[in-house]
Amino acid sequence: MTAYIARRIGEGLVTLIALSFVVFGSVHLTGDPARFLLPISAEHDESVYEAQKAAYGLDKPFIVQYWNFLIKAVRLDFGQSFTARRPVQEILLERIPATVHLAIAGTVLAIGIGVPLGIISAVKRDTVLDKICKAFAIFGMAAPQFWVAIMLIIVFAGYWGWLPAFGRGDVTGWFPSWSQIPDMLAHLILPAFVLALAIIAAIMRLARSAMLEVLDSDYVKFAQVKGMSDRVVIWKHAARNALIPVITFGGISLAGLLNGSVVVEVVFAWPGVGLMLLEGVLSNNFPQVEGAIMVSGAAYILTALIVDILYGYADPRVRMN
Amino acid sequence: MAAETPALVLEERAPVSLAQRVRDARLPWVPIVILLVIVFCAAFANLVAPHDPRANDVRNKLQPPFSSSEHILGTDRLGKDMLSRLIYGARTMLQVTAPSMVVAILAGTIVGLVSGYSGRWADSVLMRITDAVLGFPSILVALLIVTYLGTGVWNVMIAIAATQWARFARMIRGEVLAIRDRDFVVLAQIYGVSPGMIVWRHLFPNVINTLMVLTSVSIGQVILLEASLSFLGLGLAPGDPAWGILVAEGREFLTQAWWIALFPGLVITVVVMAFNFFGDWLRDYLDPRLRRAG
Repeated sequence: MTAYIARRIGEGLVTLIALSFVVFGSVHLTGDPARFLLPISAEHDESVYEAQKAAYGLDKPFIVQYWNFLIKAVRLDFGQSFTARRPVQEILLERIPATVHLAIAGTVLAIGIGVPLGIISAVKRDTVLDKICKAFAIFGMAAPQFWVAIMLIIVFAGYWGWLPAFGRGDVTGWFPSWSQIPDMLAHLILPAFVLALAIIAAIMRLARSAMLEVLDSDYVKFAQVKGMSDRVVIWKHAARNALIPVITFGGISLAGLLNGSVVVEVVFAWPGVGLMLLEGVLSNNFPQVEGAIMVSGAAYILTALIVDILYGYADPRVRMN
Repeated sequence: MAAETPALVLEERAPVSLAQRVRDARLPWVPIVILLVIVFCAAFANLVAPHDPRANDVRNKLQPPFSSSEHILGTDRLGKDMLSRLIYGARTMLQVTAPSMVVAILAGTIVGLVSGYSGRWADSVLMRITDAVLGFPSILVALLIVTYLGTGVWNVMIAIAATQWARFARMIRGEVLAIRDRDFVVLAQIYGVSPGMIVWRHLFPNVINTLMVLTSVSIGQVILLEASLSFLGLGLAPGDPAWGILVAEGREFLTQAWWIALFPGLVITVVVMAFNFFGDWLRDYLDPRLRRAG
């Protein structure tokens, strides 16, 4: 087990370093940041250009610059944002909680909706209910997130006016006060649902097939023969065993949700890392893009790592491979 | 003569007519018709569309759908005809996704064949890179590429190709590993056939089925990725007829003109569904072994 964990951590580190190299290297491949940063008035003034270069450490060799970048990246120090005129680190620390809240809410919804629906459609196999669930899954995998988001805003925020359409309310940081929680949840529902939609569909299919397999097994039939009620057999005996692969998948999809949120955050103006990333991309704000991508990438690698290790505990076949 | 009779009998097995074979294949007619309509619209957009998709008609701006025979699906804020923009959107969609898919398939197949057949360090290096690309969400990789290359159709195409080749490489490599020790390959090696020739004449024909299946199940995802990138404003310019851009424009008129966002999104959903259904059918038809893989 220790060897497995060590190998998995090693792989994660290699991926992280590869990512940092690509992120850092692409700035140097595509242009000269010092030139880009020059004010228009000093565009042809070589002394200003040289001073700028020295100020950002851009006159040093590539490998030294890369090392400095790594050292700073560990402290989330990616320099000043060109547009916001303040440290990227500050922006990141504001934005990370929003994205994490959204990802957690999305995972809770994905499992909370996907698992029961999957179980129901397995138990009520080939009934109308099963067919409706199946149609929902097919729709969830084909509909573009940004479009579903807009349609939900039109209906729930515009037409009925039940839920807020944009933003995160007046919540900032990790922990809202008690009085803020209802408002925060109201703001979370639509974006979390859209984020979860494709995963709900996948979890539902997974839960359904796992459940069908378990329902066919001897111990479930035996429990039925013993005369136990359907409810006990389904939820206590069958579901418990069917859900192991589903929960693992839920963990992996959390990793995906942390990043799949760019589109959702943009549509709902959710002040997270994804929105920050797109703002940076559209305004050529390299420090902001570097910061957002490195944080998203690291979060993704870390979540995948944790899920793999937990999976290794749950299933010995994984760690032996 | 007597010895030949059984062979003749075997050959005289009732020939299966083309019509019978089509019936046996249980073709998914609804998705096929949808896809043919889309391809037809893309190819003959100038003949099918009732209006110029870029022509403004400010007197008729923001007309709701089904209210006039002039603009069946309504108009946008400058009076552009929505139906025409949707029809030209099919052309845009194919123009962006088709070339990037071709590049992705070519690159992925070459990497997969080389990696699977050569083994050793080339395999390790190529598969590490493949895993790294597969390990990250496509949208993140695409955003990184667009950041440094800039926005525009070409860069979106590069971004799509750069994220999609890895899946093909992984799958083809797996197939090659499964067949490279089979007798016909080993015999070709003993006979002295060059490695390039073995890959081209003996391995490649055996992975074509996998390639077709993987292509058809991936197209839906690629269309969604392309639509997302256009929606985010990274591809074509605003005003161009691309489905993602249409939805983005509709976002500004949520309460006044719901139809601007509704129809293009609906079209994307239906097309992706059609491709998904067709892909599932092709997988089952060509290779039942793959039934669980996609």
